[in-house]
Amino acid sequence: MAASCNSNLPRRIIKETQRLLSEPAPGISASPSEENLRYFNVMILGPNQSPYEGGLFKLELFLPEDYPMAPPKVRFLTKIYHPNIDKLGRICLDILKDKWSPALQIRTVLLSIQALLSAPNPDDPLAENIAKHWKTNETEAVATAREWTRMYASGV
Amino acid sequence: MDDVPSSEEETSDIDTGSWSDDEDMPAPQALYTILSEKDIKDRQAEAIDNVWTVLSVSKTDAGILLRHFKWSVSRVNDAWFADEARVRETVGLIEWSVEGDAYDGANKLTCWICFDTLPREDMKAPVCRHYFCESCWTGYIHTAINDGPGCLTLRCPHSTCSAAVGEDMVLSLASEEDAQKYHRYLLRSYVEDNRKVKWCPAPGCEFAVELIPGSTVYDVTCKCGHQFCWNCLEEAHRPVDCDTVAKWILKNSAESENMNWILANSKPCPKCKRPIEKNQGCMHMSCTPPCKYEFCWLCLGAWSEHGERTGGFYACNRYEIAKQEGVYDEAERRREMAKNSLEKYTHYYERWATNESSRVKAKEDLIKLEKEKIEDLSNKQCQPVSQLKFVADAMAQVVECRRVLKWTYAYGYYLKVEEQGKRDFFEYLQGEAEHGLERLQECAEKDLKDFLQADGPKSNFNEFRTKLAGLTSVTRIYFQNLVRALENGLSDVDPAPSPSRSGSSKGIGSSKLTVSKSLNGSRRGSASGSASRRTGGGDEPEYWTCGRCTYGNPMAAEVCDMCQNVRGL
Repeated sequence: MAASCNSNLPRRIIKETQRLLSEPAPGISASPSEENLRYFNVMILGPNQSPYEGGLFKLELFLPEDYPMAPPKVRFLTKIYHPNIDKLGRICLDILKDKWSPALQIRTVLLSIQALLSAPNPDDPLAENIAKHWKTNETEAVATAREWTRMYASGV
Repeated sequence: MDDVPSSEEETSDIDTGSWSDDEDMPAPQALYTILSEKDIKDRQAEAIDNVWTVLSVSKTDAGILLRHFKWSVSRVNDAWFADEARVRETVGLIEWSVEGDAYDGANKLTCWICFDTLPREDMKAPVCRHYFCESCWTGYIHTAINDGPGCLTLRCPHSTCSAAVGEDMVLSLASEEDAQKYHRYLLRSYVEDNRKVKWCPAPGCEFAVELIPGSTVYDVTCKCGHQFCWNCLEEAHRPVDCDTVAKWILKNSAESENMNWILANSKPCPKCKRPIEKNQGCMHMSCTPPCKYEFCWLCLGAWSEHGERTGGFYACNRYEIAKQEGVYDEAERRREMAKNSLEKYTHYYERWATNESSRVKAKEDLIKLEKEKIEDLSNKQCQPVSQLKFVADAMAQVVECRRVLKWTYAYGYYLKVEEQGKRDFFEYLQGEAEHGLERLQECAEKDLKDFLQADGPKSNFNEFRTKLAGLTSVTRIYFQNLVRALENGLSDVDPAPSPSRSGSSKGIGSSKLTVSKSLNGSRRGSASGSASRRTGGGDEPEYWTCGRCTYGNPMAAEVCDMCQNVRGL
């Protein structure tokens, strides 16, 4: 049925989109852009008991031509103080690179990113200064993360 | 053994190096085996047979194990019998469980790649029973194969499953084109994972060369005719060592702009040496398969040695300390100095390049000779082709000598200025060799032309034969001396009295001999030729030159040491 109106879009993407809209994962919303059905506007709620609690983070997600054989491209649009996310919003996450599997989905990717917010990993950093901060004075780094959340992720 | 390319004798056809047909040549030779595609496949099949019969695994699994253990049957056996479970886990050989799978009873299954629900018989799964539809498998395999040789260690698409996807499954699902590529990678893995085997670097050549352990010489001749150094894969460069050649080639690189960029922006992988550009991400680098080496971008040390010990993952103390000690500026400074010696470089480069073009021309001539001219000569001079081998031998000698001579200029460039004694000796040997070569080449080219252009058989053909064969063997001896001297680092040089400097390479023009048409041109040879070149500054010659073979004999000798010709004849 959908194949006729989105002739270039693989059925997998259509089904994934339908499911994302009908059964969204808790704390996550993803909706395709109207002009480009491979481009998603994503919102992730800062997980409880994390420095990002109470924040609402905006991301963009793009499904490349060879998706799902190639991983989606994801980037934070909201500024965030996190050792695995750099100032351009790029994310250091294994499943977005060499650990990608075509059996993973947009949903699993976004859940992994949500989990990354709960458990920053300063041992495999992307933003070196933030990672250093995290390792030397975690309390202070967490406070900065909270401050950033308040400043940049509180109202949309 | 003779030089005729041996027939397909499986693994036993050991070709010998280029100096093969002379018993008086004691120089060491490279020992190696040329492997054709078929030889490689046979060896792979043999190794797989070995493994699956001993370990009682399928042939596909044997292939997976062998590729993991770099095609060493003994390493597979050792690891397997030491800890089978661990090996299975590492390579992804999951044992078939007897319990039924989660999908038992279901007629239709959902493929978790395309989300289609299909009859079970249209779905495929590895031994882990993660079912996906055939077209998704084909896509998955296509992506993996086009990503490179990593497809040889393909795993189940399920994100948390590490079951290996073996050759049989890949080939049953891959498109024709992908299957061909996969076969290619399979074949290549035998050579590329194996430290003793390397591909012949000639374009389009499909032979591989296996060096026999213990061989100290690296110059090999592939069955395609390409001569190369097995160690560094550049063209054969004996007697100059690989480091000098690498430096020289880097220096000559026509794409020096490109090279500068690569030097400035990339670092070689510490393990496989491929240049790597870091464009983003952390300092934890993983080289692409098959290397997969994990290292620190800053200090190029193994990643396994990083962590708290080096000041945390984001700071590498080893790099900081080394930088303070100035280790990292050394290469930079050296490059700077090299730039300043441009003039010296041009001198050596011109001679290097001229010899190379001479070599190429001589090689073309040799091919032409063997293809057509030899027939001509045979007809005109009424000689059987079998009796004309000396002409080709002479030309082959010219080709080889030009090659050696060419590399001696790279050697000369890097010879230290302070070592005047060595430099003098080197230039003397080089001059002698070059001089001999000029005579040989002139005879092989000009004199030969006379016989080719003649209307009928010429009476002095036999003299030509003797002369050319003599020059060939004499030149060979000069070059053997040169090769030997350079290979032992000019260690024979006597530090006290510096040998004559008139034998430098630049002296060739002035001392060049016009070889007499007559065989007994001894008077001319000894008077104006080499004898005077050997004087130590005074007028007394220290040597006399044999008129037949041109060997330089001590004044006391009445008979030539080399060919027993009586002095003065």
